[in-house]
Amino acid sequence: MGTLEKLAVLADGAKYDVSCASSGVNKHNQGGIGNSKSFGICHTWSADGRCVSLLKILLTNYCIYNCNYCVNRNQNDIPRASFTPREVADLTIQFYRRNYIEGLFLSSGIEHSPNHTMERIYQVLDILRHEYHFYGYIHVKVIPGADTALVNKTGLLADRMSINIEQPTEQSLKLLAPQKTLPVLFAPMNQIHHQITQNASERKIFRHVQKFVPAGQSTQMIVGASKDSDLSIIKATETLYNRFQLKRVYYSAYVPVNEGPNLPALSTSPPLLREHRLYQADWLLRFYSFKADEIVNEQSPFLDTDLDPKISWALRNMQLFPLEINQASYEELLRIPGVGVNSAQRIIRQRRLGNICYDHLKKMGVVLKRAKYFITCQGCYYGGIPVESALVRQALAPVAKPVQLCLF
Amino acid sequence: MDYLYDGSFDGLLTSIYYSYYEQKAQGIYPEASYQFNMFTPSTIIRSDPVLAARVYDAIDKKISVYSLMQIYYVYLSNNTAKENFILKYLQLGFQLGPKIDSVHSHPKVLPIRQTAKKVSFEAERFLGLLRFTDTGSYLYAVLEPDHNISVLLADHFADRLAGERFIIHDKKRNLAIICNQKEWYLSDFSGKAAIPDSETEQFYQELWAKYFTRISIENRKNKKLQSHFVPQRYRHNLVEFRKSELF
Repeated sequence: MGTLEKLAVLADGAKYDVSCASSGVNKHNQGGIGNSKSFGICHTWSADGRCVSLLKILLTNYCIYNCNYCVNRNQNDIPRASFTPREVADLTIQFYRRNYIEGLFLSSGIEHSPNHTMERIYQVLDILRHEYHFYGYIHVKVIPGADTALVNKTGLLADRMSINIEQPTEQSLKLLAPQKTLPVLFAPMNQIHHQITQNASERKIFRHVQKFVPAGQSTQMIVGASKDSDLSIIKATETLYNRFQLKRVYYSAYVPVNEGPNLPALSTSPPLLREHRLYQADWLLRFYSFKADEIVNEQSPFLDTDLDPKISWALRNMQLFPLEINQASYEELLRIPGVGVNSAQRIIRQRRLGNICYDHLKKMGVVLKRAKYFITCQGCYYGGIPVESALVRQALAPVAKPVQLCLF
Repeated sequence: MDYLYDGSFDGLLTSIYYSYYEQKAQGIYPEASYQFNMFTPSTIIRSDPVLAARVYDAIDKKISVYSLMQIYYVYLSNNTAKENFILKYLQLGFQLGPKIDSVHSHPKVLPIRQTAKKVSFEAERFLGLLRFTDTGSYLYAVLEPDHNISVLLADHFADRLAGERFIIHDKKRNLAIICNQKEWYLSDFSGKAAIPDSETEQFYQELWAKYFTRISIENRKNKKLQSHFVPQRYRHNLVEFRKSELF
């Protein structure tokens, strides 16, 4: 099989992995090729609107596992292929020189054993880093069950590592991926977390200690393949951030690729809106210091599809509003729907020089369409309707598109 | 009095110097596109690196490095009123000092912020959207950006492609960043005899186009979102959009 066909097969197998960011580490070139920017660079956008920043491929799509939701499970009859480590390294370098990509995202099916696959992943990194002196971004998957020493030496060459936990709860994992269990997935996650912390403290004393996974680790959960509620997903996310200090948790709306008794029907369309709301909630956890309990709870275990999670939270907590823009603290400003990190910082800075009036807010980037019901500016309220949960909800809810009535 | 300058950053700063030490400028315009008018007299300013450096240092010391950067970004924009935005901004800046960085919504500051944002956004976009072809002896890239951003790309690519020779050609403005493995310089550069792509080059372009079509998920198709990120006007310089019909 030629490189072109292999690339087609192995890109196909990797595309459901959503992690795409090339961010989190700033690295200069030290006499080779490539650098990394911490803000991350996107190189193009595919027809589904998702950005392409890394050469995202599988080393092989042969797999000994049979996870229900996965295209590459061993009982599927699909074209199979494997790259050699050198092929992957060459492809990466040539794409990189032409500025098609920001680096490599390497995942893999498990061909013979976890150790065999992990070793081959290591070889790719070894060629790239030591032979081609490549300083660009590399993200690799850790193969659960692989030897800790192997994971360790791969981590010294990679920028980011990830293990997909796929399902937020033990039950749904048992249902959909019977050969995997959460403890097996958490073990390498824990190991990497410890290594990162240890590496950071060593580097404080010895400056030249090699960095271990400098861009941190991430994970992914599939949304909509099992019956898990948003509550369990967000709770699991919060635990992952607190326990393993993950950089990102990704959500991927389940695209039905297989048939099975425990899976949604093939005709189900991926729950894209739900995925979007989960990312918004994730943002609230990471940048707006929200707690999982505030976003969803036992009474309402699913996120509101009509309104974003921040508005939903605000509507449940109307007693806190309206807030005076000229007096609210930074933390309070961040909780106003329509005020983001940038505009909150601008408000704080400009407030030091004088009062802010209502007209200024729009110019600072505040989305007044949402914010006006939750703020007062120099004592005046501009919302026009009473500050009451039901009324504000009505004003903010999306308007149904007008439908042309049929005349006959 | 209207000041006419030669279009260079030094020229613009020199005009600002004269506006403070000779006669107050009503407006500053590039000489090439100035429309003469009966009521406002105009004078041509010869750019002077020494005077420009004095203004440059004054902005750095009395206002802030951030403001200096913002002004430079605005200077690179394609906005026709940019010189006057900068003039008004600096007048306020020399009154307020570093505080000017905090008054985001002030009518003399906002246009600077908005224009600079557009320029830096486009520059950042082209860090990803630039495509090189390997001609065998050097790498060559063409771009046609809205703003004059090629200078802002140079350091990034010089670091990234260390040890390679490359040319980044702004076709719209006939400018190019030329890098000879170590340092880069900006130069006038017009027309280039098209070098046919070699077989290896064609091979990698095809691989990339193939990869690009395979990576998208059919069930999630969203063309509107795609064209939000990659506007049509950039597409004819992008291999994957030229080569693949499906995208």
